[in-house]
Amino acid sequence: MADQQRTVSIHVPVLTRVEGEGALQLRIQDGRIEELKLRIYEPPRFFEKLLEGRSFDEVVDLVARICGICPAAYQITAAQALEKLFGLEPSSWVKAMRRAMYCGEWIQSHSLHIHLLAAPDFFGYDSAIAMAKDHPDIIRRGLKLQAVGNALMELFGARSVHPVGIKVGGFHHAPPRDQVARIRAQIDEGLPLAEELVRWSAGITMPQDDQVFTSVASFDAGRYAIEAGHIGASDGLLISAEEFEQHFIEYQVPHSTAFFSRLADRPYLVGPLARLNQNGKQLPASIQALMKETGLTFPGRNMFMSLAARAVEILYALVEARGLLDHYERPARPDMDVTPRAGIAMACTEAPRGLLWHRYQTDAAGRIVTARIVPPTSQNQGRIEEDLQQSLTAFGLEKDESALRLHCEKIIRNYDPCISCATHFLRLVVDRQ
Amino acid sequence: VTADWVVGIGSPSGDDQAGWLFVQALGNRLPNETRVVRLDRPGSALISLLQEADRVILVDAMQGGGRPGAVRHLVDGDWTRHRGGLSSHGLGVQDCLMLARELRCLPKMLDLYGIEIRAALPGAVPSKAIVSAARQLADQIVANWHKTGQVDKKSSDRSRNTN
Repeated sequence: MADQQRTVSIHVPVLTRVEGEGALQLRIQDGRIEELKLRIYEPPRFFEKLLEGRSFDEVVDLVARICGICPAAYQITAAQALEKLFGLEPSSWVKAMRRAMYCGEWIQSHSLHIHLLAAPDFFGYDSAIAMAKDHPDIIRRGLKLQAVGNALMELFGARSVHPVGIKVGGFHHAPPRDQVARIRAQIDEGLPLAEELVRWSAGITMPQDDQVFTSVASFDAGRYAIEAGHIGASDGLLISAEEFEQHFIEYQVPHSTAFFSRLADRPYLVGPLARLNQNGKQLPASIQALMKETGLTFPGRNMFMSLAARAVEILYALVEARGLLDHYERPARPDMDVTPRAGIAMACTEAPRGLLWHRYQTDAAGRIVTARIVPPTSQNQGRIEEDLQQSLTAFGLEKDESALRLHCEKIIRNYDPCISCATHFLRLVVDRQ
Repeated sequence: VTADWVVGIGSPSGDDQAGWLFVQALGNRLPNETRVVRLDRPGSALISLLQEADRVILVDAMQGGGRPGAVRHLVDGDWTRHRGGLSSHGLGVQDCLMLARELRCLPKMLDLYGIEIRAALPGAVPSKAIVSAARQLADQIVANWHKTGQVDKKSSDRSRNTN
């Protein structure tokens, strides 16, 4: 059989816990991977064209629709790029509250990924529903933390899915103090859960698979980067958002509708593990102490440490949001006057899944002439393929298709890719020769 | 604590508004103590809501191969047979119900109604059959309340959960 060409198609019609539609083409010949192609379909590209001709004040709500799980990341990045373009400096209140809202998005996105998507992989379950039978408290904890994140987003955006609070120049609305106090209390209830989550994640037995890769994350001097900062990389790069296109090259491949991206002609990693690798030393001392106590050390080379990185970021986001909401005062005005002008501007922030970069060109009336959006998942595509190559070889290519498929899915899920918000399956085709 | 919730789930996509149309058709005809809400693809937040209620009537659009506008009353054995695609982006009603079931946080009584739809196109208006079905279901729920003094007591009893 080993000498004959054998093609096996495996369809996983439901529940692979990967966002969107993906397919993996794997060809193994003489015990070696000859071809490995991750095919994904990335919808945000359509938005760039859709934005052309639209007024600047429509952009924030339009880009929220790119993603149902990280809309605030798209909104805040777009608002900041357009504010830069129009020469606006939002108030310190606006900056702080956007960071607080962003914290909410990290909390809800990470909580769901850890508990509903990733955890079953490490405990031998095919889904969170199956895992909930034996470990209801773990899943409940995830849902409670996710609810805190949602509440933070709703505080500023009226709703957690496609929120509507952010605008160019600030917010549409400043929440009253009593509402903020209620969310602050929810955060306090979430903190011990998040600490427990960090301890739990540190104790999970992960596959040992150290790899060499470049980590890319925003860098904000003095604090852990979320919604502001330059772009840093583990190879020493430190650039502004305006220099992104000079260093990060996007290119098309025949097997994917999404762009791949390279830095210094190599794939790179964005996301929680890249952020911890780059900026872990900026975390508060209490969190660093907990990491040390639980044996979590960053920089990490094992991609499966991403789950623990998300847990640490949930704790950080709760601590940070609590601090930002301390001594909250409602401002006289939550926004500022905007006078559009022609120009080009770029901005970047750290979406839950990693670096998100926007570029807008407007005419004198503030209408969008061109837009370019580089989301985290497309940047991670090359790294995922590279990871699959190395991890599958280490795992054992002689394993049967079922085991290979499961391991492939585990690797891909570990990146929490947001492939699309449409269908959900990974189709693996193994061609052995 | 509110004991009864009536929940209509939908989205702004054509016939997928079925649950919203049902809530709209209910108007203010149910007792004040009953919480009547319209939700837009609530994801896992639905689980938190279910925890707060003793009895829930939940109405959503469904594509089960039936005639558009047909109303299907789903009891426990119906919705636990099929499993959808669980994901943080696309956590559907059925996923949430199944997860809530495993977490033992389903309300004491849950009535799930599906209104068969054909198309869910963004921005499209709902078809007449869906509007009509939503109204009929709302009338049925209200009539049941007038008759029994409880929100859909008869059907609730049929779908009683034991956990």
